[in-house]
Amino acid sequence: MSTREKIALTAIFGVFLFFAAGLLKLQIFEHNTMYELAESNRIRIVPIEAKRGVVYDREGRVIIGNRPSYTLSVVPAEEVKGRTVPHIAQVIGMDTSQVRRRMRRNQAAPYQPSPIYRDIPFEIVAVLEEQGQEFPGVSYTLDRVREYDLHLRPEAFTGHVGEVSEKELERNPDAGFRMGSTIGKKGIEKQYDRILRGIEGTDFIEVTAKGEILGPYAGKSRVRPVPGSDIILTIDNDVQLAAIEALDTFAVMRTYGPDGKTVDTFINRPGAVVALDPRTGEVLAMTSSPGFDPNVFSGVITDSVWQLIQGDSAKPLLNRPLNGLYPPGSTSKLITLGAGLELGVITASTTMPRSCIGGYQFGNRFFKCWEKNGHGVTNSVHAVEVSCDVYFYQLGLRVGVDQLSRYYDLCGFGKPTGIDLPNEFKGHNPNSKYYDERYGKNGWTKALVLNTSIGQGEILVTPLQLAQFYCGLANGGKIYRPHMVKKVIKPDGEDVYTQPELAFQLPFTQQTLATLREGLRLVVEGGRGTARRLKNDLYTICGKTGTAQNPHGNDHAWFAGFAPIENPEIVVCAVIENAGHGSEVGAPVVGKVINTYMKKKLGLLDAPVAQVTDSSAVAAR
Amino acid sequence: MINRIRYGELDWKLIGAFLALSLIGIMTIYSSQHNSSDAYRQTFFLRQMVWLLIAFGSFLAVLHLPQRFFDGGAYVMYVVAVILLVAVLMVGHTRLGATRWFDFGPISFAPADLGKLAILLTLSRFFAYTRLPVTSKRRLALSAVLVIVPMMLVLKQPDLGTSLIFPVILIALWFWSGLSPWYLLLILSPFVSMIAAYYWLSWAIYLVGLMIFLAVLRPGIVLAIFIMLLNLGFGMVTPFIWEKLEGYQQNRILTFLNPGHDPRGAGYQIIQSKIAIGSGGVLGKGYLQGSQARLDFLPERHTDFIFSVLGEEFGFVGGMVVIGLFTFAFFRCLRIAVRCRSRFASYVVIGATAVIFFQFVVNIGMVIGFMPVTGLPLPFVSYGGTALLVSWVFVGMIVASEYHWF
Repeated sequence: MSTREKIALTAIFGVFLFFAAGLLKLQIFEHNTMYELAESNRIRIVPIEAKRGVVYDREGRVIIGNRPSYTLSVVPAEEVKGRTVPHIAQVIGMDTSQVRRRMRRNQAAPYQPSPIYRDIPFEIVAVLEEQGQEFPGVSYTLDRVREYDLHLRPEAFTGHVGEVSEKELERNPDAGFRMGSTIGKKGIEKQYDRILRGIEGTDFIEVTAKGEILGPYAGKSRVRPVPGSDIILTIDNDVQLAAIEALDTFAVMRTYGPDGKTVDTFINRPGAVVALDPRTGEVLAMTSSPGFDPNVFSGVITDSVWQLIQGDSAKPLLNRPLNGLYPPGSTSKLITLGAGLELGVITASTTMPRSCIGGYQFGNRFFKCWEKNGHGVTNSVHAVEVSCDVYFYQLGLRVGVDQLSRYYDLCGFGKPTGIDLPNEFKGHNPNSKYYDERYGKNGWTKALVLNTSIGQGEILVTPLQLAQFYCGLANGGKIYRPHMVKKVIKPDGEDVYTQPELAFQLPFTQQTLATLREGLRLVVEGGRGTARRLKNDLYTICGKTGTAQNPHGNDHAWFAGFAPIENPEIVVCAVIENAGHGSEVGAPVVGKVINTYMKKKLGLLDAPVAQVTDSSAVAAR
Repeated sequence: MINRIRYGELDWKLIGAFLALSLIGIMTIYSSQHNSSDAYRQTFFLRQMVWLLIAFGSFLAVLHLPQRFFDGGAYVMYVVAVILLVAVLMVGHTRLGATRWFDFGPISFAPADLGKLAILLTLSRFFAYTRLPVTSKRRLALSAVLVIVPMMLVLKQPDLGTSLIFPVILIALWFWSGLSPWYLLLILSPFVSMIAAYYWLSWAIYLVGLMIFLAVLRPGIVLAIFIMLLNLGFGMVTPFIWEKLEGYQQNRILTFLNPGHDPRGAGYQIIQSKIAIGSGGVLGKGYLQGSQARLDFLPERHTDFIFSVLGEEFGFVGGMVVIGLFTFAFFRCLRIAVRCRSRFASYVVIGATAVIFFQFVVNIGMVIGFMPVTGLPLPFVSYGGTALLVSWVFVGMIVASEYHWF
């Protein structure tokens, strides 16, 4: 054989071996990998969202439900030029160019529906059903969106849901959500997100390279989603409704006309109401005014809507019960008094050396009492009854800056209550160390304690903290941690109850507490009480008005109270911003809420305030 | 004038191998298009069947034609081919940016196909009858010029894949006419230099290797310096030629060097082809059952990537059968080339075999990811009427060479 023959033979045989080795590598050694790749090519994994848990009030009335929602899509490959887009644009009232833009932006594959309009009205679905042939390539899918009972204005505690952000994905890589998942963003929806969300299911669909759906993929069976648990809240819808109605009705500005007549104007001031059961710490009502529709966060918020919400001076997004920071005003005089009694600087019957002449001269400053005409001489309980500032100025001086701050701290201020809602603020409780840092070692005087002793100055509290403090006053000093959830109902039917948790004890003896309660009783029952108008024949309310001076505008009106006096079941705390006196605005709001609760308890409620609805009724809506 | 053929004496093993490949091709074309949404595509296998009948008829016709028609008509055919290649650039039909075809109603004709035949016969005749010694510069230069003219015309269309076939014939015949393989390597070295110069380090290593090679071979100092300069020159023009390449050609080379380079574009074809073949496993997914092919993931699956369909549906066994049939046929062709009674016939056999071999290597190398995407179909198997016809004409000349050419 000649050399050239040998070379030619070698070349032919070499190529044969080379290719055989190539096939061996791909088809034998790498077969499993390549097989997986081929399969994953043709499987589209479609997540099936789990039904999110329904949230009920304590009597099983729906607060957060789910409602069906249609998303309109166009399948790019099935679109007929000059027909599909103009027709659909006309029906949904958009420009054709707008529809095209959305189609392009959301397009994944030629046969994969490209969403163009979320949550279309049902009338449009009806049109598409009837005249389907007019809209070639148009499809719609059904999914669920959250629905909040807006009558209850519940967003203060429900929060809302929204599409998961990239940050949240990064922070919780194993939380069971992916790009596009809906998760809780605030309130109960966030706090109990894992419980409410359930576990996503998976569908396996066979598709072509262009995304055309051929049907279910035979190799893998669908993984069913596990629905989320339902939650029974401690909220009582009747009390909640009373709270928002009271906020709306009694947010009144009283002005005095030139003819001496009083004029009441409804002003719908921003404000908050928190109602707790002092025996357990259950939250019976919680609302923040003005409210907003949390459903706006269900879909994609347009920039213009976002700008409107952000720019609103009434700050609808500020969740006042947890995040609103106000000076407590006279409502915190009970802390000053309690501290004085405990420290032994006064007794219940002690009177102060300087009587109230409408103010108090301290150094070169004259500290005014809210009552220009003065209260004369009062003892401790009557000082609470008439809310005499002069009495408390002198008491505050005896207690001192740091003791007063310590008692604020022991009464739960300056730290979060630990309620089961996210992002609670802790308020601000200044002491001498803080003043030293802020104003310098000798940059401040004792005059500051005069302010703090009547709940003014730099002390800042949340309505929830104040409600919690009054729970202690009502409940013999025992404070149960405020909580929202009464019971979790798992999808398998198992119920998990929340047990009340004793959080802490007020730093007051029973004797001190009795004195404080007597003061609170006189505020309503006494002849000169600042909340005399709450007096009624059915039950006795105890409480305290507060008028917090506000450097930026009108005073904030406070009232915190509880009922019935014998065995208190409800504590209500209300703040109405820039609305004036606590006795004129705050007390009636709380009175209305307590009235609803007590009447309901006594079976005197004319008709159920809230409509009883069940989940099936919501689903049909 | 017309030869009488005793059919029993033909090389039926060779004819059988190519016939089997053609039938496998029709079967696979059917599989690749049977569920296409386009009704026209579903008829591709029928069209290929008709073309196989025409091709086999042409094969028989070649057998019956006298040898004079081939060696005597070679130069005429060459001139006609060159004229048509010039004409097609001026009046040809443009498809997908390439001007390659004359259109006659339903039938189109690519003069490059005639060019392949013309070059094969012209070079065979030149080498068979020239008295110039094998290493003579005039012989090398003349044969190179004969090839470069049509090659440049085809490159201008542009059709890189087909234009590469012309130098393949030249190199195969140089080799078969007795040029030492070492000299062949030296002649080809500037082109290797071009490829190596893609990256400066590989080029440096290559040049050092070339110097050692020259030192061992000792071709004479003048030739050695000439070769070295040629290598340096070719290497240095690489960047300019790179700039001249079409975007899709640059992409193909980049993709070959790194298939992940553009996984949605040029790399997509190679990746999907490897997935299809690899997922076939030992026995394949079964006829008409390949998901890669059926669900449109394989591009060009009836032409360039037909072997991927086959590999997916018939697995390693099916792939080895096809590669085995080709290899067997090449051995058979080589046997004929050795036994030919005339030098002309022997050159024709080697040239024709080299063309089929080259397409086979480039296509299979491409679909299993060993070579860049060149756009050359798999001979006999891929869909394409004229390609099948030309292949069978080559088979006709190979069989006739043994049977009655001298």
